[in-house]
Amino acid sequence: MTSLLRRRARTVDPDAPVIRMVDVGMTYPNGKVALADVNVDIPRGDFVFLVGPSGAGKSTFIRLLIREQVPTAGNVRVAGRDLIRMRRSQVPALRRRIGIVFQDFRLLPNKTVSENVAFALDVTGSPRGLVRQRVPQLLSLVGLQDHAHHLPTQLSGGEQQRTAIARALVHDPAILIADEPTGNLDPVTSWEIIQLLIQINELGTTVLMATHNQEIVNAMRRRVLALEGGHLVRDEATAAYEREY
Amino acid sequence: MSFMRFIGFSIVRAWQGFWRNAMMSLAATATVILMLVLLSALFIVITGLNSGLEFIESKVAITARLVDNLSDENRAELIEEFEAYPGVALVEYVSPEEAMARLRESYRETGQELDTGGARITLFSSLEISLTDPNLSGDVGAALDANDDVERVLTKQAEYDTLLGIINVIRTVGLIGIGLVGLTVLFMIINTIRIAVYSRANEIEIMRLVGASDSFIRWPFILEGILCGLVGAIVTIALVAIVWDPIQPAMVTIFQMPTAVSTRFLTTLSVLLLGVGLGVGALGSWISVRSYLAAAR
Repeated sequence: MTSLLRRRARTVDPDAPVIRMVDVGMTYPNGKVALADVNVDIPRGDFVFLVGPSGAGKSTFIRLLIREQVPTAGNVRVAGRDLIRMRRSQVPALRRRIGIVFQDFRLLPNKTVSENVAFALDVTGSPRGLVRQRVPQLLSLVGLQDHAHHLPTQLSGGEQQRTAIARALVHDPAILIADEPTGNLDPVTSWEIIQLLIQINELGTTVLMATHNQEIVNAMRRRVLALEGGHLVRDEATAAYEREY
Repeated sequence: MSFMRFIGFSIVRAWQGFWRNAMMSLAATATVILMLVLLSALFIVITGLNSGLEFIESKVAITARLVDNLSDENRAELIEEFEAYPGVALVEYVSPEEAMARLRESYRETGQELDTGGARITLFSSLEISLTDPNLSGDVGAALDANDDVERVLTKQAEYDTLLGIINVIRTVGLIGIGLVGLTVLFMIINTIRIAVYSRANEIEIMRLVGASDSFIRWPFILEGILCGLVGAIVTIALVAIVWDPIQPAMVTIFQMPTAVSTRFLTTLSVLLLGVGLGVGALGSWISVRSYLAAAR
């Protein structure tokens, strides 16, 4: 299973940060400043928390990384790619290098667990053989091999999030972005999801997790990026949450 | 990426989408059928009238009634002169006897017999002149009029102009009508596909997030629109094929449509209907998906 997530080394410089933001600013057309002067380097294999109150700029931060938006100032590089100069036609290839999971799971309700995971391969034109091989591997990684034929409505919240994580990993991404992945889960299930993310991180995938969960951040003692009013007010390794948002 | 995988994926999803949104899909298909039926009707009428027009063109364009007692020598000179005239295809002499025979024949065609009451009638001799281009009838007619051997000139220009006028009016009105129906169809397909797109917004968002290219997102919807056009065209072709049997003889007798044209007419019309149906379906869905993807960018 280790080899499952270690088939990369596709980027040019293995020592280069997998995420680099330089003087990044984002001002919306209505004049609202979502991000200002953000400078961040995230090395390959890091596990980073992104914290901050609502409206601090976390969502914009994530949208810039998946190039759903382009910053109005500065530069963003992800997995060796310059997102500012990137053409629209190159965006799908970037997104296959980034896995993303959300608080609300975003599973397709009429598809089974297995089909939800396979969907991400089908819609990118992956060969049938790869789909047949990869889906069981990923379900095994997230511990859902016995739920392959269940619909999302037949799963618990934690199992749905595991399905979403399996789907996010189908293209063997360099980065996994988790946007409030435990927001809808009870504490025990939240910890199970965190353990899974740690396991994925240990297999070599960089993990960036946006969260409000103070308990998890404090317990994990990993690097914390704190945003407030669009500014990066704190960037500390092995930090605690320190304040409640 | 396998191209065949892409094609297979797009077709399967288009088919699923068509039936998932069945009421709207069938409503859009019904409007396609309405438009194509109108188009077929217009095509049939215009083709018939064009055949009639060609028939008139192919017939005598000018009749020159000759003066009495014109000598054979003068008549031969006159024929020779006008055979060499620019725009003249054929000059044919019609004797008084032949003119009478034609008159009797035309009476017989209407179920009557020509009754002269015992009187001996002598018709004029004439030249029937076919033209390479009906528009030249004015020039040739003027030249004939100026000739002393010609008593009177009769042209078919007025009939030709009348028929051409009717065809132009029908064509214009028909095209405006089809244009309006076409816009309605386009609007229906745009809305049908837009509803399909919005109902699958979550799916599209997931596709974009996992790195699906725009082609994978766009083509299933475009094929769904094309499917509406294709089903509409096939149904219309079937309807036209059913009514064509009784129409075909009328086209040959009323509009003088050549048999060769009438036998390949259905094929020509089918190709037209398929082209228009598929084109409108593809255009409508392309507009719909394009605007959605541009907004979701």
